[in-house]
Amino acid sequence: MKARLFLFPMIFMLLLVCFTAIDVSSATAESASSLSGEIPIGAVWSMTGAAAVYGSTQKNASELAVEQINQSGMLGAAKIKLITEDDRSTKEGAITAFDKLIKEYKVVAILGPTLSNSAKAADPIAQAAKVPVLAVSNTAAGIVEMGDFIFRDSLPEMLVQPNTIKETKNKLGYKKVAILYGNDDVFTKGGYDAFKKALNDQGIQILATETFNKNDSDFSAQLTKIKGLKPDAIIVSALAEEAAGIMSQGRQLGIPESVPFIGGNGFNSPKLAQLAGPAAEGAITGAAWLISNDTPGNKAFVEAYNKKYGANPDQFAAQAYTGVYILANAIKTAGSSNPTAIRDAMAKIRDMDTVLGKFSFDARREPVHPPVVQIIKNGKFVLYK
Amino acid sequence: MLEFVSNNISTINFILINIALGLSIYITLATGLLSLSNAGFMAIGAYTVAIISTQSNIPFIVGLMAAIALGVALALPIGMLVLGLRDIYLAIATLGFGEIVRIIALNGDKVVHLFSQNKELIIFNGAEGITLTYRTPTIMLGLPDTTWPILIYVIVIVYILATLHNSRFGRILASIRQDETAASTLGVNVVHYKLLAFVLGSAIAAGAGALSAPIVRVIDPHNYVFSRGVDILAYAVLGGMTHWVGPILGATVLTSLPEALRFLKDQRDIVNGLIIMLSIIYLPAGLADPRIWGLFKRLVSFPKRERVS
Repeated sequence: MKARLFLFPMIFMLLLVCFTAIDVSSATAESASSLSGEIPIGAVWSMTGAAAVYGSTQKNASELAVEQINQSGMLGAAKIKLITEDDRSTKEGAITAFDKLIKEYKVVAILGPTLSNSAKAADPIAQAAKVPVLAVSNTAAGIVEMGDFIFRDSLPEMLVQPNTIKETKNKLGYKKVAILYGNDDVFTKGGYDAFKKALNDQGIQILATETFNKNDSDFSAQLTKIKGLKPDAIIVSALAEEAAGIMSQGRQLGIPESVPFIGGNGFNSPKLAQLAGPAAEGAITGAAWLISNDTPGNKAFVEAYNKKYGANPDQFAAQAYTGVYILANAIKTAGSSNPTAIRDAMAKIRDMDTVLGKFSFDARREPVHPPVVQIIKNGKFVLYK
Repeated sequence: MLEFVSNNISTINFILINIALGLSIYITLATGLLSLSNAGFMAIGAYTVAIISTQSNIPFIVGLMAAIALGVALALPIGMLVLGLRDIYLAIATLGFGEIVRIIALNGDKVVHLFSQNKELIIFNGAEGITLTYRTPTIMLGLPDTTWPILIYVIVIVYILATLHNSRFGRILASIRQDETAASTLGVNVVHYKLLAFVLGSAIAAGAGALSAPIVRVIDPHNYVFSRGVDILAYAVLGGMTHWVGPILGATVLTSLPEALRFLKDQRDIVNGLIIMLSIIYLPAGLADPRIWGLFKRLVSFPKRERVS
């Protein structure tokens, strides 16, 4: 009897906490049927958790783009209302954020999420609800394959790395390489797969394939083995922190400077040169965007970003910025804020002027624009020539 | 009400899964064991279901049974090995187990290739993990058919724990928590009951992992890192470890708050931390502290007593 008395108020309280807690935020977003009023667009970034480094620049860049579009009157009387949600770098977070954006805010399109695996978990929700998704940083395989409402403006590693290998091989003439990659991360593992395929296609011999884990700090065992094999170049698929450790330890172990480090998308962070210092000199990486790019509006973008946030944008910022412009362009062409109309207009985008260069979607909704190869000189990324 | 449920269905799913996980650690904590292997057993359950449903056409319910059976089969030998340890040493050993599971999931295909003829066979798919195909859930009696199994699972666990709570078994577990030596002098087979609690907790966690698979859909090793284990522990710490209502409250509060506080953007995790900190300082026995509920009960039953007099 005593136990039961004790139980009922508890269950009551539980229900109370549960239902009041989730119900406090209810938004009122009217979905405009023609081009007037506010057009709600959702954005899901990893603003906290493991991928927060990328999510915060994406948030900044997307807000900057929305501000510019609304000021310029690009959409006539209509304004974009950007609703940004955090996914805490988890799949659960991305799923609840997509659910909220689609059902409660009735967004007409979604940008993001930051991580490829979160996209794999959350994008089918938008596909089922027929809301277009534009990924701006997912580089893994199997993203646009999820459905005809899923697009991306981030060049997958499978497109960037063959170009990197081709350009560097032509200029450096290397024949045998060693590979070092992080095998517990989707990003670095995807980069490795792309490099392996590109190297095989170009007929370059792979002397050794060594692995490490995220947050490792000692790479001397792998590097000593690689040094003994005397490769012409070392391919590294790692995030900036580990890549910096690999480069400085590699040079300390006496790997000569004539053997360059060639890296994937993970190298594309200003942090790399900061952390590795002189050891990062001469590191080569393929990228979708370069700060000194001579593409339409790139200089203005870098200046505006710098003015607003007091820091230089990186590749992830440029891709998020482009993403907002692609959506705005699709809304303008469609002349409607109907999600299906936006999808159809977006699928037809060809040779659009963006900071990434001339931008098109191919038939599979994959991005088409020229990738660049860059090299670190005096601690800065410059175009590899 | 119905609209509210359908708008927040994914949050409700995750609350229910986290309640099951909170209850899985509760049963070991109620026995005085600080075991952090729950994330590992959750991974075992999720991977079992994911592999079974990608490699064959076996129905989900069989996969769930297999996941729980595998959880029990692994928890028995591991429990026998590590339950000789106490306190922090047990925590470290069980934490190690969780990491081993994660690393096996990461490199599982290399192990498979050692024994298999087919060198291209991909089962675990390393860091990219297993992606289950998306299926639009059908609505049954107001709830999607993906939510019903979890709800039933949680109700069954709560029923079992509520029955056990005031049974001989429940009291024996409490006696082990309060004083292991005294319990053993009273004739309680401490080793036996500790192992039972550990296996029960692991089985619940494996089942919760299995049920989470169709909802999260992307099963990769990163889902089951150390911080997942800490999250599970936080549900029980906030809710309280002396009554099974504790982890239910803890998991509900800690899972729904970040959703409710979405307007705080990237600052919202601070609130969770603050709540845990305040509860540890002011409510060391958790939200389900019997003293608070005693007070509550007295307030509620007060008019009744007046009526009698």
